[in-house]
Amino acid sequence: MIDRLFRCTDDLRGPAAPAGPDAVPSGVETSGETRKAPMPRPTTPRRRLRARPVVALAVLLGLVTACGSGAGPSGTPVPDGELRLAAQFAPRSGYAMDTDDAFVVAQLGSAETLVEAGPDGTPQPGLATSWAQTADPRTWRITLRPGVTFHDGTPLTPAAVVTALSWVAGVTAPPRAVKGIGLRAAEDGPSAVTVTTTAPDPILPLRLSSVNTAILAPSAYTGGPPAVVGTGTGPMRLVATDGTQSATLERNEAYWGGRPQLAKVSVRYVTDPAARALALRAGDVDVAQGLPESALLEFTPGSGYDDRTVAAPRTVSLKLNQSAAPFSDVRVRRAVAKAIDRTALAEQALAGSALPASELFGPAVAWGSQDPPPAPDLQGAKDLLAQAGYGPERPLTVRLQTYPNRPELPTLATAVQGMLREVGVDAQIRIGEYGPQEPELLAGRYDMFLLSRNYLTDVPDPGSTLVTDYSCAGSYNIDRYCSGEYDALLAPLATTADPAQRQEVFRAAAAKLTADAVGLPLVHSQENAVAKGVAGFAVDPLAKSLITPELTRTG
Amino acid sequence: MGGTLARRLATLPALLLGASLLIFLLPRLAGVDTVRAVLRSRVAEAEPDPVVAARVAAELGLDRSWPEQYLRWLGQALTGDLGLSFATRTPIAPQLAAALGVSAVLAALALLVAAVVGIPLGVRAARRPGRLLDRAVTGCAVLGVAVPEFVLAPVLVLLLAVAVPLFPATGWGTPAQAVLPVLTLAAFPAALAAQLARAETIDALARPHVAVALAKGIGGSQLLWRHGARLALTGVTALSGMFFAGLLGGAVVVEVAFGIPGLGRLLYDAVIAQDLPMLQAGLLGVVAVAVPAGLAGELLQLALDPVARAAVEA
Repeated sequence: MIDRLFRCTDDLRGPAAPAGPDAVPSGVETSGETRKAPMPRPTTPRRRLRARPVVALAVLLGLVTACGSGAGPSGTPVPDGELRLAAQFAPRSGYAMDTDDAFVVAQLGSAETLVEAGPDGTPQPGLATSWAQTADPRTWRITLRPGVTFHDGTPLTPAAVVTALSWVAGVTAPPRAVKGIGLRAAEDGPSAVTVTTTAPDPILPLRLSSVNTAILAPSAYTGGPPAVVGTGTGPMRLVATDGTQSATLERNEAYWGGRPQLAKVSVRYVTDPAARALALRAGDVDVAQGLPESALLEFTPGSGYDDRTVAAPRTVSLKLNQSAAPFSDVRVRRAVAKAIDRTALAEQALAGSALPASELFGPAVAWGSQDPPPAPDLQGAKDLLAQAGYGPERPLTVRLQTYPNRPELPTLATAVQGMLREVGVDAQIRIGEYGPQEPELLAGRYDMFLLSRNYLTDVPDPGSTLVTDYSCAGSYNIDRYCSGEYDALLAPLATTADPAQRQEVFRAAAAKLTADAVGLPLVHSQENAVAKGVAGFAVDPLAKSLITPELTRTG
Repeated sequence: MGGTLARRLATLPALLLGASLLIFLLPRLAGVDTVRAVLRSRVAEAEPDPVVAARVAAELGLDRSWPEQYLRWLGQALTGDLGLSFATRTPIAPQLAAALGVSAVLAALALLVAAVVGIPLGVRAARRPGRLLDRAVTGCAVLGVAVPEFVLAPVLVLLLAVAVPLFPATGWGTPAQAVLPVLTLAAFPAALAAQLARAETIDALARPHVAVALAKGIGGSQLLWRHGARLALTGVTALSGMFFAGLLGGAVVVEVAFGIPGLGRLLYDAVIAQDLPMLQAGLLGVVAVAVPAGLAGELLQLALDPVARAAVEA
């Protein structure tokens, strides 16, 4: 132990590990393939220690005690191994499948959906092998995968699918994937169902990739939220849950996608990021999700850790209220865009834990911008402000609001405040809980607001976000932006099913928002997880997949 | 003693009723849109939808007037029915009982460790004020009071789970898993107990009856423990009831840091999710335990301190 205390690693931060496996067969009509590979995303190197006191203390002490030992990420697979996971998010709603807890159930490999999302955002076979629109464009016929059984031993039947879909469509607050579309499901022969919506829905298959539409055994639906223990179809069978503390899963020997490598998974829900890092460091767990940037410094490949970081479909934007002065003037909005150094925000303020944003959509999606943001232009910003009537004689003072639930937001607010000060804008920061601020934001009673938003929350198609957040009739249009030209750009989304054409619309919409200086995308978030002694490990930026049949312990 | 007990018990129902009213009103007076908060706790980034909000309000009973909501909740609580959680839509009573049990064990162990460590050290330090042991104990006590739990917890984990892997870093359910959270939680009360015991013992040793004891030839450890420490215990005992109640619902940092499913974490989650029934039941549970715990501490103090007992009986 003494030598361990004094031994130091010579490489505090090695090169980032390569991205995980991502080969998912394409084509709607395929069946019986290996599956559950998440969307591939660029893996990015880490940069700097972020000065957060607790984590910094943990890291400092960790460096004292850190000693490189153990096998690297690659090793001999251990048959029938047990994986111990420190999960980032605990179930907050009792594993209710109509809530975000459905992500937890799906990540653990317990529940599955009819359709999966492919790496390019296209629908791929899941519990369904194929789907097609019928003569009535409001109805899709979906063929079920044969030979699938639920964890309780009952077979996957059209009746079971109808029960599951009818339940989620009928809850008091339906999840976004099925909200407001009038979804109805009906049996159609011994191996298919039909799903009908009020109006033709070009992305219905993608909607059925939402984890909220996962299919559980009929025994799960006995009134109230469905019971998730022993009722899924996934590679791992949920056998026990202990509130928000832990869950236990065992191998589903009858899994349709092949025998899973792991025999057991023990999950601990550790909501504190520093505690997750310490649990991994102490060897209490094999995989820890969502570690703080500074803590990642000690999890080097040389120490046997496998760090996976991927771009997430989440953007932190500076919302600018266009319904009132000063940001009703596009020159002022453009001045703000010129004044802010987004690269510095990502690499310095956030110590590399995020990527600089040049547009709303980033590298997490196929249609996202890969370009770096424009360099700051302070003189250009001052000129624009002067044209708008602001300068030393008439200084511009604005409120900059945000919320603390996401710790990067107050940090970004402070950095933005400093950058704006350079061009003579006095931004007064106000930080408070999001909930009480929301009505004021939606009513247009604010100046600037820093918001973190996932644009692919339920469905790998940002069409609904583009409508709700930016169209004239959008229900979440915090920018108070209204452009007939923009709304016309989105019109094809109502009828276009072709992914390539839809992605062209997404690109055009994002470019239009940039041109009109609608808010200011600052940074794109990243997701990470670190493992030790584990193979077949990958991070899904959509947070739908983690425990896969291929995942295994190594020795 | 008996009269004191009867008087205190008689005030308990009124105290609980008053507490229930405050507990019911305070979250509602905070100005938070409960329905919206509940919806956001279920789906984090859901956009507001007035139609859905109205349906959920009706489902949760939040469309009724406050008096009606209060009387309905109170009536159900009196029959032992704490209702359904807004967040999980499952019965609250089993969740609350489990969390209360975990926190009670955690708090009791922490207080036990604090008493076993803090009181003897304080008493020993009082024997020779200003000497090395006294300075060391006083220094440690100051450190124990000053270092917050969110610093102490990772330090203990790094030392006793990472550097010397003796105990698990997270979790709850085995004796080994309890060690680090109990040590973290015990640091502050132990430090306070040591300081209090030291001060009380120095004061006790200066009292006339101790001088008489010295004249009788009683000295050394016997004097210290029989006459000094006994009185010192009274002050610590009076505080223990209050500490226990505080630790029941107030160990949020430790429970989050070590992943312990206790009452503090339950209440914290309930506040974030505006899970009003859970919040109300949890706070009522804390009050229901805190009042008897405080009473027990007071009675124990009376049993230990004849002067205080005489004052009450007079």
